[in-house]
Amino acid sequence: MSLSETATAHSATSLDWDLIRRRGKSVFAHGIVLGLVGVMLLPLIYMVMMSFKTSTEIAQDPLGLPNTLYWGNYMEALASMGYVRSVINSMGITVSVILVVVFAGAMAAYPLARLENRISRVIVMVMALGLATPNFVTITPIYVIFRDLGLLDSYLGIVLAFAALKLPLAVFFYTSFIAAIPIELEEAARLDNCNNWQVFWHVIRPLLAPVTATLSLFVMIMVWNDFIYPLLLLTDKDKLTVMIAVYKFVGNTGIDPTKLFPAAVLGSIPLLIMFAVFQRKIMAGATAGAVK
Amino acid sequence: MAELALKNAIKRYGATQVVHGVDLQVDDGDFCVFVGPSGCGKSTLLRMIAGLEETSDGRMTIGGRDVTHADPAKRGVAMVFQTYALYPHMTVRENMSFGLKIGGTEKSEIKRKVDAAAQILKLDDYMDRKPKALSGGQRQRVAIGRAIVRQPDVFLFDEPLSNLDAELRVEMRVEIAKLHKQLGATMIYVTHDQVEAMTMADKIVVLRDGRIEQAGVPVKLYEDPDNLFVAGFIGSPRMNFFAGTVARVEAGIAHVTLPRLGGVEVPVSVSDLPAAGQAVKLGLRPEHFEPGGAIQTELAIDVIENLGGVSYAYSSAEGDEHPVIVELRGKTRPGESGALSVAFDPSSVLLFDSETGQRIR
Repeated sequence: MSLSETATAHSATSLDWDLIRRRGKSVFAHGIVLGLVGVMLLPLIYMVMMSFKTSTEIAQDPLGLPNTLYWGNYMEALASMGYVRSVINSMGITVSVILVVVFAGAMAAYPLARLENRISRVIVMVMALGLATPNFVTITPIYVIFRDLGLLDSYLGIVLAFAALKLPLAVFFYTSFIAAIPIELEEAARLDNCNNWQVFWHVIRPLLAPVTATLSLFVMIMVWNDFIYPLLLLTDKDKLTVMIAVYKFVGNTGIDPTKLFPAAVLGSIPLLIMFAVFQRKIMAGATAGAVK
Repeated sequence: MAELALKNAIKRYGATQVVHGVDLQVDDGDFCVFVGPSGCGKSTLLRMIAGLEETSDGRMTIGGRDVTHADPAKRGVAMVFQTYALYPHMTVRENMSFGLKIGGTEKSEIKRKVDAAAQILKLDDYMDRKPKALSGGQRQRVAIGRAIVRQPDVFLFDEPLSNLDAELRVEMRVEIAKLHKQLGATMIYVTHDQVEAMTMADKIVVLRDGRIEQAGVPVKLYEDPDNLFVAGFIGSPRMNFFAGTVARVEAGIAHVTLPRLGGVEVPVSVSDLPAAGQAVKLGLRPEHFEPGGAIQTELAIDVIENLGGVSYAYSSAEGDEHPVIVELRGKTRPGESGALSVAFDPSSVLLFDSETGQRIR
């Protein structure tokens, strides 16, 4: 073998090793990611699997795959949980809370982001404290206040309660986002004959779309999945939210998995659909400001 | 179109005064440029005229109307911002129409005005695009178009070209100058670039620390500056200053000795004669070094900057704040030792009081 042939063979071998090393790294990285995704999806997969099992299958092999897709569990859950009504309630409450939080939050955040004085700084700080306040601390005051205002067991009451609880998050989101909007845009609008309200409505509000989508998603997940406040403030079974309807299958003495799991799947489906619809906007909001 | 007048305009932020009693008259149809270093108050003054900053004291009129405390939209001004400030969610057409729409102008009238402005600025092909789909130059044209459609009395430009690259800046400079001719409107333009100021202005206002140092036509400021600051700021490369002493005063001539130029004595003819022994500064522009000049000396040259058509020789010595710059024409070059024989005519020098910085005329 000549010298040049030896050199060629040597470089070919080192190229192969480079390729194998690179592929190996890639497989390893993908393996870790897939493993983490699997861990995160495990409860969801378990819930879906259980929802299709008969009670006998659950008793015999609680961790195994269902033998057939048994839809009977879903039929029974649908019939006994008042699904459509509870989904409509949850949707109505969630959408109303989002509307209130988005409008009130954006309008409150606009002056807070622009006014550089002590009062606005204190308000922003109070809002940040609101974010840090544990949920259970507010349960009793909210119950007492809403009872005294006659707002118990009403849609208005639950919407106002959620709106008050989520407003700090909205103000926090919007304040930092609006502060990053160049002031020249507002100045241009003032020269274009806009008053304060018109500046907000025509110039600031349209620019808030990405952050509004992200905020709406957070609020939607929190309100949809919330269990404590609907349980605390709503008693009329026609006004119950879907999470309370699911919880009905957790009895005092035991759990009926053939109803609880399909109900949980049914309760999560609308949220997953909404998440899929908003996903693109949410990502835009999450990365807004990263690139000019 | 209208004239603008400022009478003792003052701006304070709390206890800090940043604009100190500015008096200024900009005539109808003038292109007036505010120029000065960063922090001199030129943008603040422009924003006071726009109404975006409250005028703390003094009076401001546009076309004879007192607008000192009027809302920005009621002043009859339109402003082009350094950052363009285009509404990102609106198309070019919507950006240009917005002000008229808010003002309640009829749709057909808005369309007519916007189309006319688009034609002037060659924006017809971009009317349905959003700002993010435009280049820097196109965005700047849209910003100008937005100002044009409002048909203001006074156009205000706040460093509109500073975000553009060098080539585009020259192109837009010419376009704005053409636009001024075409519209015949009163324009006030802020820049820190004195080349922009010299090439575009009918009138230059040089500002420093919130005060007008000098205002006038560009050539007047270049040839006949009132003080050291204006003399140094206007002109590129900058004017050379040599510290000197008045050796004697004879027959209306002050004889100034310049240690930096080998102790040469320069006779300067001034009417307000300084006293013998007074410390002065002598100003001489790089192009005023001429081979046939009456005063001859030598300079040790460190660097020669060849720009093609013209070259500049730089000479630094200990104690110099700035190097001495000599414009070289033809094939004049320093000898092997680096020494360059230079000459200048005493009539081309300017004399300044070292202490006050004021011109001695």
